[in-house]
Parts: sequence; structure tokens; C-alpha cells
Amino acid sequence: MKQFIFEYDLGIDMNPLDGKLIFAEDGSISNHAGDSELFRFFASEITEAVVKAGVGCGLLFVKAEGKDDRILCRFTMTGLKQAGEFCKIVNFFINNGTAAFPEKEEKRYCEECGRPMVSEINVCVFCYSKLGIMKRALGFAKPYMKQITISQLFGLIPRILFMLSPLFIRHLVNNFLEPRTGVWSDILLIAGGMLAIRVVADAVQIVTARVFNKATIAVTNDLRVHTYAKLQGHSMSLFAKRTPGDLIRRIMDDTSTINEFVSDLGRWIVDLFFNFVIAFAILLYFNWQLTLLVFLPVPIVIFALRRFWGVMMARFERHWRQGSRCNSILHDIIKGIRTVKSFGNEEREIAKFSRATRRHAKIGEENEILWSLLFPPIGFIMGVGEFLILFVGGWMVLNGSWWIFSGDLLIGDLVLFTMYLGFIYGPLRWMVHFPRWLANTTTSMVKVFEVLDDESELKPISSPHNVPITGNVHYDGVFFGYKSYEPVLKNITVDIKPGEMIGLVGKSGVGKSTMINLAMRLYDPNTGKIKINDTDLRDIDSDHLHENMGVVFQDSFLFAGSFYENIVYGKPDATFEEVIAASKAANAHDFITQTSDGYNTYIGEGGQNLSGGERQRLSIARAIIKNPDILILDEATSSLDVETEASIQESLNRITQGRTTIAIAHRLSTLRNADRLVVLAEGGVEEVGTHAELLKKKGMYYNLVMAQRQNSRKQETTGG
Amino acid sequence: MEIIDTQLDLGILDVKDLRFYIADGGFLGLKHKDEDYRHIVLRRIMPMEYPMEYISVADHENKEIGILRDVAALPAEQCAMVEHELDNRYYSPQIIEVLSVRDKLGYVYMEMKLKNKQGRIYDKSCAIKDVNRNIRTLPNNSAVIFDVDGNRFIVPLISDLSKQSQKKLDAYLY
Repeated sequence: MKQFIFEYDLGIDMNPLDGKLIFAEDGSISNHAGDSELFRFFASEITEAVVKAGVGCGLLFVKAEGKDDRILCRFTMTGLKQAGEFCKIVNFFINNGTAAFPEKEEKRYCEECGRPMVSEINVCVFCYSKLGIMKRALGFAKPYMKQITISQLFGLIPRILFMLSPLFIRHLVNNFLEPRTGVWSDILLIAGGMLAIRVVADAVQIVTARVFNKATIAVTNDLRVHTYAKLQGHSMSLFAKRTPGDLIRRIMDDTSTINEFVSDLGRWIVDLFFNFVIAFAILLYFNWQLTLLVFLPVPIVIFALRRFWGVMMARFERHWRQGSRCNSILHDIIKGIRTVKSFGNEEREIAKFSRATRRHAKIGEENEILWSLLFPPIGFIMGVGEFLILFVGGWMVLNGSWWIFSGDLLIGDLVLFTMYLGFIYGPLRWMVHFPRWLANTTTSMVKVFEVLDDESELKPISSPHNVPITGNVHYDGVFFGYKSYEPVLKNITVDIKPGEMIGLVGKSGVGKSTMINLAMRLYDPNTGKIKINDTDLRDIDSDHLHENMGVVFQDSFLFAGSFYENIVYGKPDATFEEVIAASKAANAHDFITQTSDGYNTYIGEGGQNLSGGERQRLSIARAIIKNPDILILDEATSSLDVETEASIQESLNRITQGRTTIAIAHRLSTLRNADRLVVLAEGGVEEVGTHAELLKKKGMYYNLVMAQRQNSRKQETTGG
Repeated sequence: MEIIDTQLDLGILDVKDLRFYIADGGFLGLKHKDEDYRHIVLRRIMPMEYPMEYISVADHENKEIGILRDVAALPAEQCAMVEHELDNRYYSPQIIEVLSVRDKLGYVYMEMKLKNKQGRIYDKSCAIKDVNRNIRTLPNNSAVIFDVDGNRFIVPLISDLSKQSQKKLDAYLY
């Protein structure tokens, strides 16, 4: 028998407990703690299962007719989501008599290490494969592999040429300078040769670097566009889950980090690795004992660097975080500067910011002191290697073999050794930072892949229909909640006929905007359907749906651009005459023509230079330019004064004629002409009827109207 | 304050009118004057400064019945009932030892030893996102940590933690 198990983790006494609440296909609900069953009953005995979140914990209880609410279990917040799922399944059974289990259950524990998964990301933070993630990131480089490979192969030329310099100098010293047998032409030949090599190497490097950079920039661009496109296809839940800053950081910063890594990997890592191997091989060839001396301080240096690096990174991170804190304080103050000034709190805000910056400066100062104390000794230890080479090498040049160091060493050989030391120590110093760099890049990669892998809650349509949209909208037993454990709409069934104007009424938070969000398919219902002309909204092509739907919000967003550009946003192929017609219908034409550049007048981001009424008129023009069959007005005039609202209402009355309209309005008087009013309460439909019918009924709508009238009278008498 | 007092009823409850009890389903109930509320919700209005004072008492639909100014003013048995209910609603185990703190994929993964209100000690691991916001030190040298799931853990006095634990937390405290 199919079942859904909610594993809760707190006992009724709030002590940790491994408990299970099981809902089975036959409608039974049983509670188990360890091996014992605490109780069992059937869903048919209750009216609703409810989750309530407390602070740091939550509880799941059931309601039953004529009985007290009964607590089933308690849990920490880790179980909240699963508890919500549990309730959803039980409530579906109560309402429909059948059990519907989720197709895929969320992975809660890592299959490899058994640690709990971080609820927001889909890889275990301990077991993810860095190599796998790297491979995936490099997958984006596939289309550019040809350029990358060619640039890397040709890039070997300058690398080899650069490595030749010490050999030339050795030859010069050993054969011409030290025996003092050389003539100017020999020296010129070697110096000229070195110069020529340098010119060729630099020229090749410029060309290859250019090809390589072009390819890596293209890779980042592809990744960025791909991530952005993926975001656009998501439901609004993703945008509710993550802040705009977070998403922007992922698209811009994290992709840049990946780009830096890929391009640096191609340039520096290959370079350093190649230099290290060649230098090491050459040194070994000339004198293997002396070569090993080069590595003598390396273990100490690596140990010290790794150890101090951890400390320093933690301190730098702290500094960075404090800086970020200063930024957010500043951001907050500047954003709310009007409030700060109107309360005369400038001094207090200055003090708050100074405290934060002082702390920032103090951490920075401490870090610098520590840095200056730690790193010179490390540099010194590294220098010991060079000193040892000079000492032992010098001894061998003067006296021949010494202790375990055998073989003839000439001055040129010693010069060669000291020159190649740089090629050896450079990569070693760099290798110490590599793990951290790799970790940062992997973090960015995971962040980007999270967006790419996040499954949209809007199910993709395999064969979308372009049904004619005539304006019939039918809500059929719709249940929906932004959080699975908090249903906002419960069993909504409403049939809206073509051309009808429906007003949605109810207290705030009752689910009015949610109803229209679902009609626009910004979200899909948890259960039930919304149909347009008898076709499930999920089967209608999204572009087709939105082409036939016009929306005006309370806080309609206008983009940076001209009036014209903002209006044609609703229909990019509109003719100019259509733009004028839409503006006239929205009573926007007059104020547009009064501006200096008419329809070309540039309006700043968000249309901040315009009045609220002007912004709303533009939004209406933008909504109706495509002549939509369905018009949605979500508090379209609520933020306006009575006079402006009346003027806009006049245009709206004209526009809504013969068009299916779903409207929400704060002032109930603006909805009195609606064909029907749907009154919502506690997520359900409480009353449906015309303004006159509902007033006569003296139910919830009547009470709302009376309360609003009383409020208006009060304001009039107090002059408010 | 005088103006507010004269114009607004703060809804402070008279403890003489209150009788808390445990209803059949396990919820806290309240008899207040002539009303019997079978399922009430208690909320701390100032949880940090006044954990046992200024408790908002609401019915199951979240309509406030009134404010209990001081839990200690209730008779002992009633007081225990209210304290127990508050403990059930506010679950913030105390961190007694920080076992490890690791930065992983932009999250801070913390393993720690906790002690709950009932004195039970147990290990717990959690992931913390955006440590700037979710690891907060408070003016009284205490700290609160919020994990990605919304669990909260408290350090009543940072200086009471062992040196090792403090060292592990240090980079994240401001």
C-alpha cells in the first residue's frame, strides 16, 4: 500500500525523537515513535490537517467537527516543508476521497555520507564531485574547443622560448665570459639571439592570448545568457525564494568567477606547470644533488603557508564581511534618507555608520599587522633555498665536489640554477593558494548550476495548444499555497463568462491577488485546474496566453526608455497609430504630448519622474495595446487620489466594455458596476452576486461596504 | 504615553480573570471572563528583552484576546502551564560546544553540541547561509544563529564557550 511518511524530530515534551507520521493510501493516519505505534485513525474522521510554524519549531494538528483541535506531533523547522506536504496529501484525501502522492520526494539525506542535505541546494556540500562540476563547466567550452586547443598548442612556443634564456646565458658565461675568450661578435650573436627569441615569443603570445581570451569570454557569455534564459522560464516562486541581489550575483558575479578561473587556468596554470616541469628537468640534468637542495625549504614553506593562510583567510573573510555590513548599513540609510531626515536622525545614523566603519578599519589594521609579521619570515625561509644554492654552488665552482655534492660546476651553471629557481618557486607559492581558489570557483559553479538545475514548478507543455481565447475562465476546485504548509486558496470554483466583469473582494491576505496570479499562470495550482475555453491553462502555450491577456498592477513597473518604448512593450510590432489609440483610450495621450519630446520623451528607471496617475495611465495603455480578451486589474487605481482615480476609472470603464475583466480594488465603490462580485474569506468563496444582491443579503460584502463607508465618514468629519 | 493611555486600550489582561488549562487535544486553553477559548496561541512581544513579560494571548484565529503583562503574576500552576506553552512555541536550543565550522559552497556548515530547555544534550549539524544576517551577536555578549531551515540556536554568553569553540566561531561574530 502506498504511503507518505513524515519523519518528525521532536517529542511532545520537546526532546529530540525519531518519530514517523504515516498517511496510507486507505486514508489511515498513524503515529510511530521508535517501534511503537502511538495512535491510528482515519482521515475521514477529521475535517482538516494543519501545520503551524512557531519559532524554531512547528506543530501539526488536526481539526474535527465538534471536537478540540488535536496535536499530532511537533518538529524542528527542518521538518516544516515535509509537514506541509503531509497536510496537503491528507487534505486532498479529505476533499476528494482519493489519495494523491507526490511523484518525487525531496532528497533529505545524502546517499553517500548520510548527512542532512542543505535544503536550498541539490548537492551534498561534502560529497559533491569537484571534478564532475569542473567537467560540467568545461562542457560550456565545447563549442570553442578548436580555438582553445589551437591557442594552447601555439602558446607552447613562447613558453619554450622563454625557458631557453637561462641556457643562452649559461653558454655565454661558461664559454665566453668566464674564460674571457669571447669576442664582441659572439656576445652580439647570443644577445641578438635572445632578443629575437623574446620578440618572437612575445608576438606569438599576444596572438594566442587574444584567441584564447576571446574564446573564454564567449564561454562566459554563453553561460550567463543560458542562466538568464533559464531564470525567465521559472515560476514566480523562484523569485520569491531568492532575492534579486542573489540572482543578479549568480548571473553576473559567479559567471565572472568561472570565467576568471577558466581563463587563468588556461594561461597561468598551464604556464606555471610547464615552467616547473621544464625547469626541474633541466636542473636535474645539470646537477641532481644541487637540484634537491632547491627543494629543502619547500616543505617548511608549504607547511607555514598553509597554516598561516588558513588564519589569514579567516581574518580577511571577517574583514570582508564587516565591509559588507558597512555597505548594507549605507545602502539602508541612503535608501531611507527621507525618513532619516524627516525624523532628524542624521546624527544617530552617522554614529551607527561610524561604529561599523571603525570596526572595519580595526579588523583591517589587525590583519595588516599580522600579515606583516607572518609573511616576511616565510619569504626569508624561501630565500634560504637561494642562499644554499649560492653557497654550495659557489663552493663547488671554487673547490669542485663537496660532501654529497659532486661534479664540476661552472659559473654559468650557477647562474642557470639561480635563474631557474624563480621558475620553481613561483608555481610552488602559487600552489598554496590553489585549493582556496578552486573552492571559490566551485562554489560559483554550484550556484550557477543550481539555477540551471532548478526545476520550474510550471510544468513544461509537451504539445501546447493555441486555443482561441474568448475570455471564458473557469477555476475548478483550485487549492494553492505559496508555501506548501500554508494554503492560501482552498477549493475555489468560479466560472467567469466571456465579456463578464468580475470583482474580487475580501480582506487583505485572503487570496485575491493569488487568484489572478494563477490565472496569469505565474504559478500553477497545487490541486484543481484553471481552464480557459475548456482547456487546462497548463496545456496552453504560455506566449499565446499572455498575448491575449492585459494586466495593470497597483505598482506597475515602467522600464527605462521612452513613452513609446514602454507602451509597445505590450505589443512590439504595434503601429504608431495603435500606440496613439491605446494612449488615448488610457487617457495618457494628453500628458504625453505635453512633454518636450512627446512619445520620444525618456522616462527614467521605474518612471520615477512621473506622477502616480501618469504611471498608471501608461500601464493601462501598455496593457490594452494588444487588445486582450482578458483584462486583469490588480488594485489598478488604489494608490491614486480620488480625483485621479475617477479620471482613470472613466478610461477603464470604456476599456472593460465587452472584455472579460477580473478586477481587485481597495475601494469597493470602484467595483459596484461589476457584473458579479466574488467575496473571498479564509481562502474560500464566501459570497457571489451583484453589488445590489450582496448588499441585500447583508453578509460579508455588506459588512465590508458598511465598514468602508463608516471609515470615509470618519475621515470626512476629522478632515482626514 | 499619557496621550496613548487615554486614547488606546492596550488590552492588558487582569490575571484574576484568567484560567489556563490543557484542552483534550493538547492545546493550551483559556477561560477569560465568560469566554472559553479551547485553543489559544501565546506570543512573546519582546522575546529577547522580556521573554516572560508582555505575552500576547490570541485565539486560534490569531485574534488577540489581550496582553499578559507578567507571567510570574499568575498562580504557580498556571505560570508553569504558560511557561511550558512558551517553551513549546519558542524552540532555541543552547549551543554548548562548537565541534566544527566549515565553509562549503558558500554556506557555513556547523557541527555543534546542543542543550535543550529540558537539559537533554545532543549533537546537531546545520547549514547557515549569509552569515552576516544569520549569525548575530547581541549587545549582552550573546549570539543567535539561524540555519537555512529556520531553526535557531543561541549562545547565551559567548565567553562561557570553551576557547576552542570561541575560536571556531570568532571569524563569524561581529
